Amino acid sequence: MKISLNWLAKYIDLPDSVTELEKLLTFAGIEVEGVKHIPALQESVFSARIVSAEADPKSDHLHCCKVDIGDYPYNDKTEDGLVQVICGAPNCHAGMMALIAMPGTVLPEFTIAKAKIRGVESHGMLCSEKELGISDNHAGIIELPEDTAIGLMANELYELPDTIFELEITPNRPDLLGYIGIARDLSAKLNIALRLPVIQIPEPKFPAGELPLTLVNEDTELCPRYTARLFRNVHITQSPLWLKRALIKSGLRPINNLVDITNFVLLEYGHPLHAFDYDKLAPLPSGDTHPAIVIRKAIAKEPIMALDGKSYNLDGDELVIADGEKASALAGVMGGNLSAISDSTTRIVLESAAFHPGSVRKTSYKHKISTDSSYRFERHLSDHATTNASLRATQLICELAQAELCEAVYDDWQKPTVALVLGIRPARYEQVIGYYLDGDTIKDYLEKLGLRFIQYGNWKPGAISDISEVYCHHGEEIKQGLTEFSEQPDCIHTLYFEIPTSRVDLEREIDLIEELARLDGYDKVPVKTLPGRIMDRHAYKTMRQITDYIVSRGCFETLNYSFTDPDTMAKLGFQESDPEMQMIRLRNPQSGTMSVMRTSLIPQLLQNLVYNLNRGERNVKLFELGKTYFKIAGKHSEPMHLSAIFTGLNREENWQDKSIQLGATTLKGILDELFLLLGVHNCACAPANRPFLNKQENASYTVYKQEVGYFGKLSATVAESFGIDLIELKQDLWILHLDVDNIVEITRNRKMKFSPIPRYPAVTRDISFLIADNVGYSEIEACVKGVDCSLIEEVKVFDEYRGKQIPAGHRSLSIHVKFQDTEKTLTDERIDHLVDLVKTKLTETWQINLR
Amino acid sequence: MREQLNELVRQAESDILACQNPNDVMNVKAQYLGKKSLLNGLFARLRELPPEERPAFGNQINESRNRIEALLEAQSTKVKEAAWNTREGGKATDMSMPGITSSRGGFHPLTIIRREIDDVFLSMGFEIAEGPDIEDDFHNFDALNTPADHPSRNLADTFYLEDGSLLRSQTSTVQIRVMESYPPPIRIISPGRCYRNDKPDPSHSPVFHQVEALVVDKGISLADMTDTLSQFASIMFGANVGSRIRPHFFPFTEPSAEMDISCVVCGGAGCRVCKHSGWLEMGGAGMVDPNVFKTLGIDSEIYTGFAFGLGIERIAMLKYNIPDMRILFENDLRMLRQFKGESR
Repeated sequence: MKISLNWLAKYIDLPDSVTELEKLLTFAGIEVEGVKHIPALQESVFSARIVSAEADPKSDHLHCCKVDIGDYPYNDKTEDGLVQVICGAPNCHAGMMALIAMPGTVLPEFTIAKAKIRGVESHGMLCSEKELGISDNHAGIIELPEDTAIGLMANELYELPDTIFELEITPNRPDLLGYIGIARDLSAKLNIALRLPVIQIPEPKFPAGELPLTLVNEDTELCPRYTARLFRNVHITQSPLWLKRALIKSGLRPINNLVDITNFVLLEYGHPLHAFDYDKLAPLPSGDTHPAIVIRKAIAKEPIMALDGKSYNLDGDELVIADGEKASALAGVMGGNLSAISDSTTRIVLESAAFHPGSVRKTSYKHKISTDSSYRFERHLSDHATTNASLRATQLICELAQAELCEAVYDDWQKPTVALVLGIRPARYEQVIGYYLDGDTIKDYLEKLGLRFIQYGNWKPGAISDISEVYCHHGEEIKQGLTEFSEQPDCIHTLYFEIPTSRVDLEREIDLIEELARLDGYDKVPVKTLPGRIMDRHAYKTMRQITDYIVSRGCFETLNYSFTDPDTMAKLGFQESDPEMQMIRLRNPQSGTMSVMRTSLIPQLLQNLVYNLNRGERNVKLFELGKTYFKIAGKHSEPMHLSAIFTGLNREENWQDKSIQLGATTLKGILDELFLLLGVHNCACAPANRPFLNKQENASYTVYKQEVGYFGKLSATVAESFGIDLIELKQDLWILHLDVDNIVEITRNRKMKFSPIPRYPAVTRDISFLIADNVGYSEIEACVKGVDCSLIEEVKVFDEYRGKQIPAGHRSLSIHVKFQDTEKTLTDERIDHLVDLVKTKLTETWQINLR
Repeated sequence: MREQLNELVRQAESDILACQNPNDVMNVKAQYLGKKSLLNGLFARLRELPPEERPAFGNQINESRNRIEALLEAQSTKVKEAAWNTREGGKATDMSMPGITSSRGGFHPLTIIRREIDDVFLSMGFEIAEGPDIEDDFHNFDALNTPADHPSRNLADTFYLEDGSLLRSQTSTVQIRVMESYPPPIRIISPGRCYRNDKPDPSHSPVFHQVEALVVDKGISLADMTDTLSQFASIMFGANVGSRIRPHFFPFTEPSAEMDISCVVCGGAGCRVCKHSGWLEMGGAGMVDPNVFKTLGIDSEIYTGFAFGLGIERIAMLKYNIPDMRILFENDLRMLRQFKGESR
């Protein structure tokens, strides 16, 4: 629904800022879908009279107009004091009042300049609504009422500047489908007064008998109320400008004063009306000759010519408003052509009725006619609302069409809807919403919404049919917190309201609670701290992920005591000064071998290994995830470690593959894959420097200089000190270690980002070469990637060979080099060139032999 | 001519069926359907027939051609399948030989139980909170309303470190730490290691594992606790396992209780494991003592809470029928391998 803020401001004081209002509406549950500002126009846009309009013989549509601009100062007036304007609009004619934009005027979309059109000078422009930014209408230039004075500024005439809001009204709120409804909601939200239009209808001018009407309502279920008022001496003309501009800004086209009035009331009160030409209504076939209005179901295959100019065949389910002979309107949906108001109409019947929402929806859906009227009726309008709508229209018809009102008021209203009475408990509000709203505030809000406060009382659920059943107490005492009722907490803590029938959405206490929460603002709802902030979910998940992975790689988990034998750390080769040797001592240990807190998990794993080797196990993979305990600078810390020990076959023996002893590459592969899995990127490798590791085969992984893990071969001496003779065992022992805390922190905020799938194929080429043993593979890989890092996506070794043909101290390496260009397909030429570059780079860097 | 055609089709059929490899099929196809084939020759000779017989015989030739084509197609598929299956190295496997597995390891039974407990409580909306093993008197005793002369503070019960700190004797310490840092509502479990100066024997270990639960909010009652416990017992041990609480005493809860589950071995009928009572003791429980709240600055008029503690070793031993707690710390692979199937 489009609403003009200038119009809305007639009913309520709006906040100065449009943004503020937009926010207010949004938080009152009325979504602002669009905001359109209509800027103010300059003073050089004003009303003027077209004195003459001569068609340009050389053009099929241009007119050369002489325009009276009054005493507006302009240098290029003609001798008779007029200005010459060329106009191409089809409705341009002599004598009409129009809006002129003088040369120099800046309009929303362009600037007016003195121009020559087909050799004829044009001083300014006669404007359409679209050119002024008022609406999208560009069918012709604006035609002002004839009695408009010359020289009135467009700003005044069109109440500019203005802002148009496009509102989305939720289907449960039909009461918001009019300006007054919106204003009422705002008045409750802002707690300010609402200004309703003062309706004063003139004295009736003639008795019923002079304009007799037969009214028959055959279906009071589908039409619970039908009212009609009659008028004569109706003057059908153009509407005054204020009415036209109101409709235009709300997106409706002005037609004539009568249609415009019904549309205006529809927008203002949200209740659709309809007017019939009295003289076109046929009487009933039998009986008197009075024009008749019959509300009935359509007859199967009954035709109706609707106002949209189309003919519809009815199937009998539709409710129609008929005269004595034929259907003349689809009730609540659209009027019919036959009884429509025309320029010659002088006597009318004004309908204001309530229709069953389901019936209107069915008719609208079946015949694919959706109108402003059906849109509202199908959302359920109150039968009580017909009264004001009819009165307001009556007032305007008498005023603007100089009509005479008939004494008779027809009102077929068998069963007026009874207003609901509902109770609301402030305590219940607190229970549902989370904070307390006192009775006075509740009263204030709901009364502003149009609910009538009845009394305080004790709680009765549901709609109250007899208010006297409610135990009543005077409201003042509630506020003071009556002690005498404290043992009955519900007692008298309820406010009772009568719900206006227009608020079909308010049926239960919970609906009132919603209303109050919405009006008081969801921003008032306190943020209650919910559980969920204590757990370190990332750390928890990471540890489970790590141990899951380590288990999947064949390790069994062990659990060892937190205290241990102080000698074991020395056996690992640590020096007195190492932090690992600063073990925390127990005051009351059970034994010397359980007298200090462990600083490493490795000694106990070695003991576990010995235990299992002694029981005949040969392939042992064990790990522990556990705390170690340090005291550094007087403070305790308990870093979480994961250590593992490996010996024996890479994997269980099987009948198919040759089983091999696990080695450095196995361990390295475990770490590489784990870090890939956890998203630990950019690992740097360096020697592990642990006293218990073999000096050659070990590596430490660091990220941003923080060690995340290491692995290496256990030194034979250390193994010996734990009672393992490697020569006898004929197997290496391998240690793998993860610094769990560092891994958790490094991965805490990791984010995976998808990179687009390349549109062009990658190409892989192989290069083989002989190279001295002292050149590390990582250096080779870095060297190759360095050739063109934007095109070389991957370098991967796929073969290493040492043998008879290879000179001593050398090895043969074969690598895949994968090229990928994201911009275009790589041609063979380019790849050959790149491969040459790689080979050159390799030969330049080291003594290599390409194979 | 008709006979010639019939003979041709018969010959083609036997030639096609004799094909042993894709090459043979190609050759036979050329022979019978190629440009210079006999079939095409018959087409050329249609003119020799009387005009009225031509259409019928023409049709017959076409049908024969279609039949030969279909046979060729079928034989080709058959031959290709056979060629792939009998290629060098394409021998069929003895399906009764064992599959090659990836040699997974496994978790320690205490971890398996701990993870199960974690998952049960996480699904019930609890958080997991952890705290240090090395604690002070305040968190292990004072804040838990334990009097200064309480026997549990003895060296014979609690491990002390040379610097005066101690190894926590229960994970209730984490409750205190959480309540110190976070206002209610609180809904946590705190699993972890605990230490008591008990000599290792079938039912004791100086190092053991506990899970404590703590719930603090408005309107928390003993009824919430029994509900949580019974849910826990039925998820952990089976739907038909019941639970109960008995009055007891702990300094930090009031009222205090011990909780039992119906015996998982005999189902409550009475057996050696449950000492013929039908019930197994699971741990201590109760409503948080107002004194504990007071120390932590929580208004016990507004908030109430419950807490309980479970021994993980005990649950593991009951669930897996492990007779001696010391087995759990030997890390014997013959024990660990048994739990491969439980690792999850």
